[in-house]
Formats: sequence, structure tokens, C-alpha cells
Amino acid sequence: MKWSKALLCLAPAVLTATACGQQSYASDDRSKPRVGIVFDIGGKDDRSFNAAAWNGVRCAETGKWPDGKDCGRPGFGITLRDVEPGTPVNIEPGMRAFAERKYDLIIGIGFAQAPIIETVARDYPDIHFAIVDGVSDLPNVASLVFKEHEGSYLVGILSAMTTKTNTLGFIGGMDIGLIHRFAKGFEQGAKSVNPNIRVIENYVGVTDAAWNNPGKGKELALSQIAKGADVIFPAAGNSGLGAFDAVEDMGRDASGRATHFVIGVDSNMNMLKPGFVLTSMLKRVDNAVYQITRDVVNKQFKPGLHVFGLESDGVGYAIDENNKDLLSPEAIRAAEEAKKKIIAGEIKVTDAMFQ
Amino acid sequence: MFFPVVAVLAAFLVGGVFILAIGESPLQTYSLLIGSALWWPDGIGYTLFLATPLIFTGLAVSVAFRAGLLNIGAEGQLYVAAFATAWVGIVFANLPAAVLVPLCCTAAVAAGAMWGAIPGILKARFGSHEVINTIMLNFIAVAFVSYLTQYHYRTPGDAILETAPIGANAHIPRLARFIPGFPERIPLNVAFLLALVCCALVYFFLWHTKWGYELRATGSNPSAAEYGGISIRRQIVLAMAISGGLAGMVGINEVLGYRHRYYDGFSDNYGFTGIAVALLGRNHPVGVVLAALLFAVLTRGGVPVDAFTQHVTKDIVQILQATIILFVAAEALFREGLRRWVKF
Repeated sequence: MKWSKALLCLAPAVLTATACGQQSYASDDRSKPRVGIVFDIGGKDDRSFNAAAWNGVRCAETGKWPDGKDCGRPGFGITLRDVEPGTPVNIEPGMRAFAERKYDLIIGIGFAQAPIIETVARDYPDIHFAIVDGVSDLPNVASLVFKEHEGSYLVGILSAMTTKTNTLGFIGGMDIGLIHRFAKGFEQGAKSVNPNIRVIENYVGVTDAAWNNPGKGKELALSQIAKGADVIFPAAGNSGLGAFDAVEDMGRDASGRATHFVIGVDSNMNMLKPGFVLTSMLKRVDNAVYQITRDVVNKQFKPGLHVFGLESDGVGYAIDENNKDLLSPEAIRAAEEAKKKIIAGEIKVTDAMFQ
Repeated sequence: MFFPVVAVLAAFLVGGVFILAIGESPLQTYSLLIGSALWWPDGIGYTLFLATPLIFTGLAVSVAFRAGLLNIGAEGQLYVAAFATAWVGIVFANLPAAVLVPLCCTAAVAAGAMWGAIPGILKARFGSHEVINTIMLNFIAVAFVSYLTQYHYRTPGDAILETAPIGANAHIPRLARFIPGFPERIPLNVAFLLALVCCALVYFFLWHTKWGYELRATGSNPSAAEYGGISIRRQIVLAMAISGGLAGMVGINEVLGYRHRYYDGFSDNYGFTGIAVALLGRNHPVGVVLAALLFAVLTRGGVPVDAFTQHVTKDIVQILQATIILFVAAEALFREGLRRWVKF
């Protein structure tokens, strides 16, 4: 029988490999706190959501951003390992790979990982877990969530003070509660300036693929522009980059000012197309993962909800040399005023996810 | 039989050159890769779990190939089947397990077979090529079940695109229940045994029944088969339906055995990897099992390699898979080269 011959050849190879495999496991330095991070499908180079998380853990590891610049906070000399799953199937094995080696903290990025992190956290009650954008009430899981609606409210004000057509565009990635939060906050902020403003709301799709379709993002942006929108706020991961292309295609007027603007999301994206990016709605995932890492290093880990809003610089908007001439001083003043009122509780921004 | 093994070893050599070039030790990387895929119980448990869908899709592609058809549509077939399984599990949740589990399994096979039969009928009736049709039906399948999930079977307020959970009576047991010392957390379930049974059945069907003979005859020489009184059209539809049914069984593993709901994006391209599995396994059930195990080892070991080496990412797994496929396809190269040195 031909098959048995092949099996005989394979068996010794497999056995030696297993024997060697066990030894290379203990290669991590166990004296240092060990942190494992499992990214979302987008991967750590998405320049937006995952990139912000990567910035945060790198800062906690070395005290520097990934590009080598000082991040202004101390590093803790932790051992940092990461997994980019690429497909949803690899998320659970990635988390378990860290859990099996008794890591001190395992961070999951993105709401889609919430059920998975719960399964794994139940099997390893002695290990700390943190989930960004997801909620779990297990005693060893910290849920890091953001008040995206508050940040979106502020960029809504900035957009309403900038638009000439009284029409704004919103492009969501997946049609889900988390993204409705961005949409409703944005609309509410815009309407607080001018109740007659129209916000055109579109979504790229209903599956995970919606985060990764810049072509469709651009199409949606162009159709919104055709309907009169001159400021577009995409909250759509990689698909949002299509909106950046669309406003750039619209060009500049005689004075050199762009005719249409886009708003970055999650990370500061002002430098992506300077002159065309009105501002960026910041979601400081980096702060959140830095803080949870610091808590674990200092043995002060707290499970449960950690909410990052305007008051804790968890959300906000970005002003730098790329966009400081695009926004009028009145617009910034209005946004700052609203920010104070939201923190003081005088303005209630609708949370479309938990209303 | 000998050549796929040579191809695999050669691919590991080529992969080793890549690993060396980016500054890591190939030996250590490979021992991490294979070691973490085989250690007891978490490694081997997950490897067998990951091999299960690949055995199903590998078999599916093999059966179609034996009839001279290329089924690129296993991906779409398993999506439709997984949703059908979940649908039955949700709608008839109150039936007793003894009725519900077989019903769910039948739904998976029937849905997969139906989705597979469509390109079969199109080919038999109108002569339109099955490669194009199966590819196109993949897109339709994924979009169709995503739509049903999004607008009809999702738990309100759930941010994830997944259906409501299926009834507890529809769950199939994990193997942990039968193997002492095997932890319950490992999702390896009886669908793996079902996959092995399917291998035996496919072998018996293809080589020990009249229908299997007719199917293979259609594949090796359609004109001769027709001259011998075999209805080619019927064989085409039959082969595609069997192929789709086998691919559909992936739904049993994923829905009844693992997630207990339909989950968007659950398939790690199982349908397409199945083509490579069938190619490497020489379209033979035993070969399919071995090839599926190899690919599962690579997938399971790829994650620790990504996490615990400085420079090697899990892309090394894709390089290995691609090189293996390349070498298997270029088998003649080895055959000639080897024949010169050794008398075979």
C-alpha cells in the first residue's frame, strides 16, 4: 500500500518536530510583565483605529511612538507581542496563544472580538483581558469604550460652521449601532448650529468587508457631493479613505482653498491630504490601551467599564499646522464652548447605541 | 503519492530560505510552527478542528474533479449550508435533539447540494461553464445569506453580523466528552468523525459502486462514457450536487459544533483552500485527509509564529502553502529530476 509508505516517512519528521517544539516556548522573559494584543481585521497599519491601539501599547513598552518619537509618557519595559489575525477565524487562536503562555494582559481590538474574549476569559480567570469597543461583565475583563457621539458632535459643529451649501455627508462603514453613534452625534452637533442643515447618511455595507472598500467609499462620497454636500465625515475604516480621494478630485477654488472637505476619524488624519481634511474626530484608543497596560504593570487592574469621553481626553478633534487655516476662529470657539457644556452636562448628546 | 511529499519538503526548504533572509532561524521557526500545532491537547485539538472543514471541502472538490468538473463554488455552497443549518436550528429549536440534529445536518447537506446542483444543471442543460457559474454563485451566496442575517435573523442591537443562537438541542457534542483529559474548551467536535466517515463513504462510492464508476468514467472520457450508455448530463448534475453536499457539511462543524449560530465571515476561505487540498491529496480521500491535516497544521502554527517571533509574520504560512501548491502543480519537474538519480 503506497499510503503507508508515505506515513512511515512523515512520522519521524513529525515526532522530532514535536520534541523540538516544546523547547522554544519559554523564550519570553518572564520577569517582565507580558502583554499580548490581537488586532482587528484591518491590521495595525490601517492609519486609523488599529494604528491608534498599536501606538498606545508601543508607548507603554518603550515610551516612544512606533516611529521613534517620544510619546511624552514613561515606558514600562514590558514584553509586547502582537497578532494580526487577517481573518475572523484566527482571532481566538491568537488570544489563546497568549493565554496558554500565561500572559499578564491580553488586549482585543474591536467590537467583533467581544464574544471571543469572553469565551477565552472564562477559561483563564487568572489572566487580565481588555476589550476595546466591546462590553463584558466578567471579573477579569476591562471594557474600554468611548463616547464617540460627543466627539462627533464637536466635528458636527465645525462642519456646520464651515459648509456653504448647508448640506453635510456622513459615510458609515457597517450599518451598526456603534456607527450610528457617530452619525447621530454628528447630525445633532450640526443641527445645534443651524437646524436647517441637511445630513446625507450612507453606509458602505452590512458585512465586515464594509470596512475595507475604498472604492465604494469614494462612490458614496461623490454621490453625496453631487447632492450638494461639501463636508463629508466618513466613519468607515479603510473605506473612508475613498472619501479623501473624492474631495481631492473636486479640487480648489481660485483662492487656493479646497471646495469640499473631509473629516478624519479615530486617528489624526489631517496630514493625509493637507488642505482637504477639515479636522479629525479623535478617538484616543492609544490613551485607553496605555492606561490599561499601566494599570496592569502597577497591579491596579480594574475590570468593568472604562468610559473615555471628552472629560478624560478620550475623544476630541485635531487641530495642527495642516488644518489651522481651514477652520474659522468662530467655529473653534463654538466647538470649545460646546465641549465645556457637554462636560458640565448642560448639553446631552444622544447615544444612538444605547438609547 | 511520493511526489506530494517531496513537494511539501521542497516548499519547506524554500520557505526556510525566506526565513533566513529576514533574519530568523528556520529550524526554530519551523519547530515553533509545527510544535505549537501538535502539542497536547490545545495544539492538536485545534489542528484537527481546523482540518475538519478542509476535509469536507477537499472531498467536495475531489468528487467534482473525478467527474471532470472544477468546483470553485465550495465557498458559496458552505455559506448557504451554514445558514440553512442555523435557520433550522433557530426555527425548530424546540424539537428534541434526536430529531433536531439530524434535521439540521440534512439541511446543511441539502442546501449545499442544491447550491452545487445549480451550476451542474446550467452546464448540463445549456453548456455554460461551471467554473464561471460557481465563482459567480459564491458572491450571490454570501450576499444572500448576509442579507437574511442582517434583516431577518439578527438579534436586535447586536453589533456583530450573526444570527440569533440556535436551540441548545441542536448542539453536537465536543470530543472532550469522550476523551479523558481533553479539555472542553477545544471546539473539536463529532463533525470531525463525520468528516472521516465521509472519506470512507466517498471512497466506497467512487470505487466500489456502479454510480461511482459512471461518475469516474464521465470524468476520464465523456464521449466513451456516453457511448457506453452513461447519461453525461445526469452525471454532471449528480457530481455537482454531491460535491455541494459535502461542502455544505462544513456548516455542521461551524454552526452545530462551534459557534452555535451563523456568523458572517466564519469561513477562512475553506472553499478555496479545499481546491489546494484536493490537488495536494491527488483527489483521493486518504490524500485529502493528509493534505487537510498539513494545511491545518500550517494555519494553527502560523498564529504563534506571528506572535512569538520578532520578524516572521503569519504570511510565512501563505508562502509555504503557495509554494507547496506550486511544486505539486510542477510535479513533472521532480519526477524527471528524481528519475535521473534514483530508479523509480
